[in-house]
Amino acid sequence: MPEIVQIGPYRPQLVEPERFELVVENNKIIDVNIELGYVHRGIEKLFTTKTYMQNLALAERICGICSGVHTLCYAQTAEGVIDVTIPDRARYLRCIYTEIERLHSHYLWFGVLAHSLHEPDVFLRTMGEREQVQDLLEYLTGNRMNYLINTIGGVRRDINPEKAEKTRKVMESMKKLSNYLISLLDDNGRLTKKTKGIGILPKEKALALGAVGPTLRGSGIKSDVRKDDPYAAYGELDFEVITEEDGDVRAKSLVRARETVESIKIIEQALDKLPSGEIAVKPGEPLEKEEVGRAEAPRGELVYYIKSNGTNVPERVKVRTPSFANDFTLIEMLRGDLLDNARVIIESIDPCFACTDRVTVVDVKTGKKRKVILK
Amino acid sequence: MSGKISVYRFMSAGCNGCDVQILECLVPRYKLAELGVDVVFTPEEANVLAITGGINVKGREELKKAYEKLKPPKLVVAVGNCAVTKEIFDKGYPMVGPPDQIAPVKFYISGCPPRPQAIVTAIAKALGATLEEKEGYWATPEGFRGKHEFDSEKCMGCGACAQVCSSDAIDVLEDYGKRIIKVDYGHCSFCAFCQDECPTEAIKLTREYHLLTDNRNTTNVTNEVELFKCASCGTYFVPARQIDWALERIESEVSEYKDFRNNLKAAMEICQNCRREIRNIKNAKKLLSQLSLKVQTI
Repeated sequence: MPEIVQIGPYRPQLVEPERFELVVENNKIIDVNIELGYVHRGIEKLFTTKTYMQNLALAERICGICSGVHTLCYAQTAEGVIDVTIPDRARYLRCIYTEIERLHSHYLWFGVLAHSLHEPDVFLRTMGEREQVQDLLEYLTGNRMNYLINTIGGVRRDINPEKAEKTRKVMESMKKLSNYLISLLDDNGRLTKKTKGIGILPKEKALALGAVGPTLRGSGIKSDVRKDDPYAAYGELDFEVITEEDGDVRAKSLVRARETVESIKIIEQALDKLPSGEIAVKPGEPLEKEEVGRAEAPRGELVYYIKSNGTNVPERVKVRTPSFANDFTLIEMLRGDLLDNARVIIESIDPCFACTDRVTVVDVKTGKKRKVILK
Repeated sequence: MSGKISVYRFMSAGCNGCDVQILECLVPRYKLAELGVDVVFTPEEANVLAITGGINVKGREELKKAYEKLKPPKLVVAVGNCAVTKEIFDKGYPMVGPPDQIAPVKFYISGCPPRPQAIVTAIAKALGATLEEKEGYWATPEGFRGKHEFDSEKCMGCGACAQVCSSDAIDVLEDYGKRIIKVDYGHCSFCAFCQDECPTEAIKLTREYHLLTDNRNTTNVTNEVELFKCASCGTYFVPARQIDWALERIESEVSEYKDFRNNLKAAMEICQNCRREIRNIKNAKKLLSQLSLKVQTI
């Protein structure tokens, strides 16, 4: 019994439903249609019915996996509207919480990739060790996900020496996991053969289609909001923007694996440099203005726009999530590749919505549709 | 329930937090394997449907189809507060859920998201099994945001918690001289704004996280506070404790008002409707004489 549950025929559909229509000829994908909307909740409308503070809880529920960076980006934008400067300690704490979240997000994605490549050992090891990060988040913030740690004017919980010590301990242990994941993708790595050369996104196409985050960096373009437009304390911390040249699934995987090492570096530096003082200031009244804010989510650039009419409820909030930007690069990546590779390619952008188990295959000659289950 | 348990996860209109928790349940330390539970990826193979998310227009038809394809006994479980009540997305225009309006839900697991520990324990309970929960990770850490608890000594029934609640989970009801503060933790996003804003620190989020129920109407924590009768017209209008709290606060903030305590108290004991009646000096004098107060001349 146990082996079924651990490796078994379950499907770790991480993710929300999204339908892909692949046009296939001789097992080769020639065209792709993407159908969205199964997760639509009318969030942008809901934003205009709640106060600025209540909207923090709504913002983080756009995506459970990168919930922290949503509150960070929303809070930063709202701080522009309210015209408040946050304390130094809060800036560093925001970096720490956001990077811990990046770790859990990248490890989770790696687990899913390993599963779609039929590597149960890698899946179990990654997911098993990742639990330490989840426990740490729960210990620091009070919840495993949707932790609501950022608030307008700072952060809600401090890191005391005891908590810092625990964080360092977990980071030590995560270094081993990150190195293991990188080793899986090096020249003789176990996953290299299965991921090299598939789902290629050339540099020019990545730019033309507006890819962001690891998907863009995997195609050799150095772009990271943390470096290009530093927010929180990123301008004062030393880290590298990871890029890989090939643009295939391996390159994108390697970018994420190497980024976890950088995240650990950022967390350790921020803990060392953590300034003393307040963790939050009381925000004032919103001014009548518009503001745009951006942040680097685990999946790429996240953009918030807020229009304020001076009341405590925003007049308009617009969100551009990274997965939305990356989704359309899939059309380019899938076209010309084999049907067998489709699942791995779709997962390679780390889509925040992808119930990829139901794929409709359209036979171009007869126009008939049939459903297949990707193995 | 006996025999093999095969779970199919269905998601529509949620944040995917709960879906990740279900995925995490597969990590050996959560002992899902010990219970003989299998997670499958088509509804045809499953006899248990785990629903996450609040179901939108597009998801409704898909959910109906998935439910029809289930093998008996067709057990439906709602995992997470979106599946229990739609939570923060309650008023979203494409929402048609919660799922129990589309398929018969047997168990509700509250949480945002529920911990994997809570999900696995709930499954065990449904199967009539018990899990060893000795290891440290079964307990919640200090500062965990779980089920609510009222300190009935401290709560004055002001309703500030309902004002700041991010997902409209707190109702303020009035009934026969009592004010009832009702927290629906099946609707809660566990943001703890209520805990932060409570002026008397009366509401607290405890470390309790096993929130399984088979009756949706039981996901409540309530507190009752006595209401005060208007000194003039006799209708209930404000909790008695709130008057005392406001008086104390005025005294501590503005020392000059100390001498007027009784006057302030008398003024607060008149309901808003009676206050509106005071349109002119004649009415005011009438009201004051009713209350046998002296007119203060400055």
